[in-house]
Amino acid sequence: MLSSHLIDLVLALGMVVLALQVVSERAVLRSIILFVVFGLVMALAWTRLKAPDLALAEAAIGAGVTGALMMMAWRRLLIINPREPADTPRGRSRVAIPVALLAAALVATIGLSALFIDPPTDTAGRIALDEMVDTGLGNPVTGVLLLFRNLDTLLEMAVLLIALLGARAISKPAHPNEAAVVETGTPLVGALLAILVPLSILISTHLLLAGTNEPGGAFQAGAVLAAGGVALVLTARLQPGDRPGVIAQVAVTAGLVAFIGIGVGVMAFGETLLVLPDTWAVYVIETAMMVSIGLTLVLLFAGAPALVGRRT
Amino acid sequence: MSMQEWVALALLIAGCFFYLAGTIGLLRFGDVHSRLHALTKADNLGLMLVCAGLAVLAADWRTSALLVLIWLLGLLAATVSAHLIARHARRDGK
Repeated sequence: MLSSHLIDLVLALGMVVLALQVVSERAVLRSIILFVVFGLVMALAWTRLKAPDLALAEAAIGAGVTGALMMMAWRRLLIINPREPADTPRGRSRVAIPVALLAAALVATIGLSALFIDPPTDTAGRIALDEMVDTGLGNPVTGVLLLFRNLDTLLEMAVLLIALLGARAISKPAHPNEAAVVETGTPLVGALLAILVPLSILISTHLLLAGTNEPGGAFQAGAVLAAGGVALVLTARLQPGDRPGVIAQVAVTAGLVAFIGIGVGVMAFGETLLVLPDTWAVYVIETAMMVSIGLTLVLLFAGAPALVGRRT
Repeated sequence: MSMQEWVALALLIAGCFFYLAGTIGLLRFGDVHSRLHALTKADNLGLMLVCAGLAVLAADWRTSALLVLIWLLGLLAATVSAHLIARHARRDGK
């Protein structure tokens, strides 16, 4: 009992210290690395809180994909302006300390008032758990994401697409060789890819299928799929292209199209909007979402509207 | 404590020792190559010992196989990244 409290204490303290370092570190690259470490500790904390779905998402998206995206952003900043390293300016803003104190007071107030509230009994989570029996899904998180609150999930997919379109609108397409940072002359890289890429497909498929009954789901699976794609971009097997082909456009929008298609299609059978008919619908939507999420993240990473195979 | 738990404890402590040694090497050694040497070699052994300890504790073939897989993936990542960093450092003449 005591030892488990000790682990929680170390995790909590570690997160506070890491968070402080992330924002106070001057060198941007160190900040990014610390942010990734913070994400991994955060994933451990979610595991301790018995939220494996969140832990998986935090490790795959929060630490992995976001870290990779930020490192690529840092690299592009260096390309734009090689003389001045992309560091935060010295000295802190005058409002920094008042804002920090205000935020601390807010958190303390909410925390203290939460201590004196009787835990509510008739919560939405309780109702959702009771309803899970009828759905045929074993994982309540998937139930909430795809059945009970699926409008939120649908809008999240839309946000992801908007993010991609926004990035495409404001940034110049990356130069074909810009995204590749790993030198490809060594045979080990090919060996790594030969193992890593099939494995990322295997693991994402497993996460997708497991998502109905165990921790996992489209978001985690998409992030793992994106990891394989990021490895291919880093090693220049896939290069930024100018024009997305039909397949890429279909894949990027597949999640949204499948979700809206099934969600609206059920109205023809007299159902309410977005009431999914059965588990097969959940599978179809989750698969389409995984493909869309994976490709969107890789395209954001490559900083380009399309990907093409390496031209030798 | 049962025999099984003692074995697992010994393996876990040995694993932590190698992790500690690798980290001290990373912090104390002078150049990139010896730092990489300390880090990747010691950490791989540490990871193996920790995985072995957890496998003994789990006493389950499926979990043990997954732990072996995790160790192999760790080996793969460490090998290739150490190789790439060392190549890069040599090219930069450090």
